[in-house]
Amino acid sequence: MATHGQYLRTGLLAIAVGLVLALGRTLSVCFEGRLPQVPGEDVVALVLGDARLEISRTLEDKADEYFHGGVRNVNCTIQSEAEEHAHEGPSHGDADHDHDAAHAAGTKAGGDLWQWIDGRVHEQTHKHLTGDQTVELLPWLWAATRLSPKNRRAYENGAYVLAYMLEKPDEAVRLLEEGIRKNPESPELILSLGEMLLNRLHDAVRAEPFFVLARQKCMSVPKDKTRAGELVQVRLRSLFYLGYIAKQRGDRDRIQRCLEEAEALGPDDVVVKNLHDFLENPGVGR
Amino acid sequence: MKVCPRQIQALARLSVLELYRRKDLIVVFVLGAVILLPLALFTPFGVSGAARYMNEVALLLVWLFSLVIGLGVSARLFPPEFESRTIYPMLAKPVARGTILVGKYLGALAASVSALMVFYLAYGVLVGVRQGAWFPVVFVQAFVLHVGFLAVVTALGLAGSLVLTPSANLTMNGLLVIGMLFFGQRLPSLAAAQPQPGKAVLTLLHWFAPHMEFFDLRQRVVHQWPAIGWGVCAAVLIYAAGYAAVCLALASVAFRKKRF
Repeated sequence: MATHGQYLRTGLLAIAVGLVLALGRTLSVCFEGRLPQVPGEDVVALVLGDARLEISRTLEDKADEYFHGGVRNVNCTIQSEAEEHAHEGPSHGDADHDHDAAHAAGTKAGGDLWQWIDGRVHEQTHKHLTGDQTVELLPWLWAATRLSPKNRRAYENGAYVLAYMLEKPDEAVRLLEEGIRKNPESPELILSLGEMLLNRLHDAVRAEPFFVLARQKCMSVPKDKTRAGELVQVRLRSLFYLGYIAKQRGDRDRIQRCLEEAEALGPDDVVVKNLHDFLENPGVGR
Repeated sequence: MKVCPRQIQALARLSVLELYRRKDLIVVFVLGAVILLPLALFTPFGVSGAARYMNEVALLLVWLFSLVIGLGVSARLFPPEFESRTIYPMLAKPVARGTILVGKYLGALAASVSALMVFYLAYGVLVGVRQGAWFPVVFVQAFVLHVGFLAVVTALGLAGSLVLTPSANLTMNGLLVIGMLFFGQRLPSLAAAQPQPGKAVLTLLHWFAPHMEFFDLRQRVVHQWPAIGWGVCAAVLIYAAGYAAVCLALASVAFRKKRF
């Protein structure tokens, strides 16, 4: 039989549980909007917080490592086909170039037996992934976008791999649309989507509003010195595409307006030169 | 150090049986399957065909589990014998202490290598079925060097079990092995960037700590790089054998001086 003491303990325990529940509810009501946790965020967001972005960038670096055939921290310049399309400039590199040369890991041995062995064991073969092989990059980019939806570069890189390397522009467009939904303030993603629609799907009608929107976003973003240079570049690229589409339509006035705005932003930029070319060589076609 | 092959064989057999009796292997195998099976079915952005990420995760698990098994088995060779005092009847028999030490070491190594063989076999079959590459040379080299890694790890665990408490042994050796896997390659450059006495400490670590990164061919296997020369492979195995021998010699001194 339960004694009075046991009843008392059970009662006190029940009261304590009730108090804790009431306190939990009171805190969320009294401090609504002021708590660090945002309602609706997933477990990963609550546990990792801002560390998510750093981990996401590490995963993105992993994708870069895979692109270089497993070689880490390599400083290799490879100009993308997309940039060639974007700037209509001469190619600065060859997308198929393979560095078959072996890279010895770390520093030179210099009489150090351990470093000599390590150099032989970890001698690296730098060979870019090409064509269908680039599917190997996707798991890391997928993980990077899922871990931190704020990692805009992961969306851009994922879309680039899908559209330009794997010839899956529709999937790339879907990914960029998702990126824009999660980063509505980012003009870079909007511009990328416009580029994807124009360069890969050749749909200037769908692409044009995104260039207009990217340009507007660049102007509406609060003045941020660290991003000022990037935003100017995004705005210039948007103007280039708007001028290009205007040229396709034979709309010289629009090209002129784009040129004036571009000259105000960066008189020496290649976009200004390209827009001048559009004006001097009117007519449909590139 | 006097040793007798038949007695060593009997002691080693006991260690192997102990691993399988405790069912450690089944636990890590099930854990590996639970992690890898969803990954195998994963199609990022709806595109299938990626395999290297899976190989990398699988090899990482193989390394992790082999370290846990190697250290766990070797660190548990002597402490239970001391605690339950079963070491006394063993020492009372006409078996030299050196024989006991070598027998137990070889048993721990055999048990760890047998578990490693199961892991590599499962990995090899997985890669063969998914990618059509059946046991390439670089894969065989990765296994051989991994055996060298286990030779060093079990020797460290055994030596540590004679001078440290079991938890301290596992912690110290775990940190040493993982630390060297991460930073072993960069120790010379790290030392060069440090003022004294940090520079001296890192230089000493570079020369005397076990260079576990020598045995790690994961990157080479995952990205299908060419095999390394067999001469280099042999040099790494000689390093492993030498390091394990030094650890066993130190363990032998500790075992001889140990008072029960």
